[in-house]
Amino acid sequence: MVAAQTVQLPLYALFVAALLLAGGWWLTLRTLKSIACGTQVEQPERDWSVPVIDASAEGDSLFHRWDVRFKIVALLGFAFLVVATRSPWSALIAVLLSLTAVFVAKLPLRRSLQRLLAISGFLSMFLLIMPLTAVTRPGDTLLIFGHLDWLSFNLRGLQLALAIAGKACAVALLMEPLLATASLPRTVEGLTRLGVPEKVGQMILLAHRYIFVFIEESRRMMVGMQVRGFQRRGNVETLRVMGNFLGMLFVRSFERTQRVYDAMQARGYQGRFPAPFYFKMSAGDWLHASVWLLLGVALLLFDRLGGC
Amino acid sequence: MHISDGVLPISIAIGCGVASLAVAAWSAKQTASEDLPKVAVVTASFFVSSLIHVPLGPTSVHLLIPGLVGVLLGRSAFLSIIIGVLLQSLLFSFGGLTALGANALMMGVPALLCGLLFNRLRGTTHKQNLLIGALAGGGGTLLAASILALLLVSGGEDFVGVMKLALLSHLPVFVVEALVSGFTVSFLFRVKPELLEQRLGALSQG
Repeated sequence: MVAAQTVQLPLYALFVAALLLAGGWWLTLRTLKSIACGTQVEQPERDWSVPVIDASAEGDSLFHRWDVRFKIVALLGFAFLVVATRSPWSALIAVLLSLTAVFVAKLPLRRSLQRLLAISGFLSMFLLIMPLTAVTRPGDTLLIFGHLDWLSFNLRGLQLALAIAGKACAVALLMEPLLATASLPRTVEGLTRLGVPEKVGQMILLAHRYIFVFIEESRRMMVGMQVRGFQRRGNVETLRVMGNFLGMLFVRSFERTQRVYDAMQARGYQGRFPAPFYFKMSAGDWLHASVWLLLGVALLLFDRLGGC
Repeated sequence: MHISDGVLPISIAIGCGVASLAVAAWSAKQTASEDLPKVAVVTASFFVSSLIHVPLGPTSVHLLIPGLVGVLLGRSAFLSIIIGVLLQSLLFSFGGLTALGANALMMGVPALLCGLLFNRLRGTTHKQNLLIGALAGGGGTLLAASILALLLVSGGEDFVGVMKLALLSHLPVFVVEALVSGFTVSFLFRVKPELLEQRLGALSQG
């Protein structure tokens, strides 16, 4: 019923393609992982499972000197413009632009690669599933291997998945220039100046601080459980222990936090940290922000009118 | 369970962003400032629990606990969830920047409803709390998965296949979530029942 163009391929092509795909995927992940983890400094004191947001806040680059408020608005606007594009080609250009940002900000590539690694699972699922399940529309090209009629590989689906993956990577690469080029309190202060309630800003800072405390706490509790002979198995007993573990984590962290909060209030905490941040906007901030927004608009125009 | 950047159509992404900001503003207004430490604790625990893996057959799943957040925080749950999701996005890029609103709605709306449900039912015995906790945990995850499915399908019929796979892979998670949440609630009921009070919402209401 649908006039889709089908391309018949021999059955062995499927095996070759599957092999190439799996090999390529494995190789990409390996490379990403080795770069992401290879240069890691061994420091037993620090927990590397949760990275520091603002590790490179001390650097000096175009991004570091940029007023935080302009940075947030411009890069967020750029991200939304990128996400609005449709074709894989514009997504590719967006990835290149984001990579440029990482280099201009003089940031280590490792953290950006870790971010890509974090989303790779989700994106691999899309790349694998979309071509197989996309609905056939007139004008689509279907690849069919041998006589396996039910296994049709829709090239439009692949295109769709590639565009999604590209856009996701482009935005993920933007995160480091956006966040790592100023200290987190400064970024949050910028958010507050942009209209986010102060209460929420404080919550972000408090919760971020507690994450590291709780991870340490939960690790201590886990060691205690293992010393007493607990082993993770796939049964209800394990889930019961995990439930109690979570409950205990709540109880302990709540009591600790209450004590800390009382101490903070005793020292005069009234809902904000008295850290002076000075913001001054200059012509350069406006210029830098408009460059990014114009790039985004140009990308969107290219995507909608460019015809590819 | 996160949606990454670029999956949702731009109109849906922006719409979810606006809606989640509105709900978060309401939720923040409902939160008294002396309850901020509790909200921060639950937010950080929400984050940390996503790092806790529970073995399940040959693989393992990580906890999501939207239901538990709702049970503990009531109306402040949405504020907690949106900050948790934001931190996950900032630290790991789990869930994208532009999909932040969608992710917050996906976890936050179930959390609010579970909190409401828990407040209504409010068990008085150990067994009842176990059951209600399980209901909130499983129901919260089920609801979150349904919202995920709805959001994915908003991208068009091409996404139906992905949606089915996402739903299917979450089936075992419902069971794990239900049991763990049930056990946690019954543990808290025995050990520190005042944590289950949800007095936050009640305070600003009265």
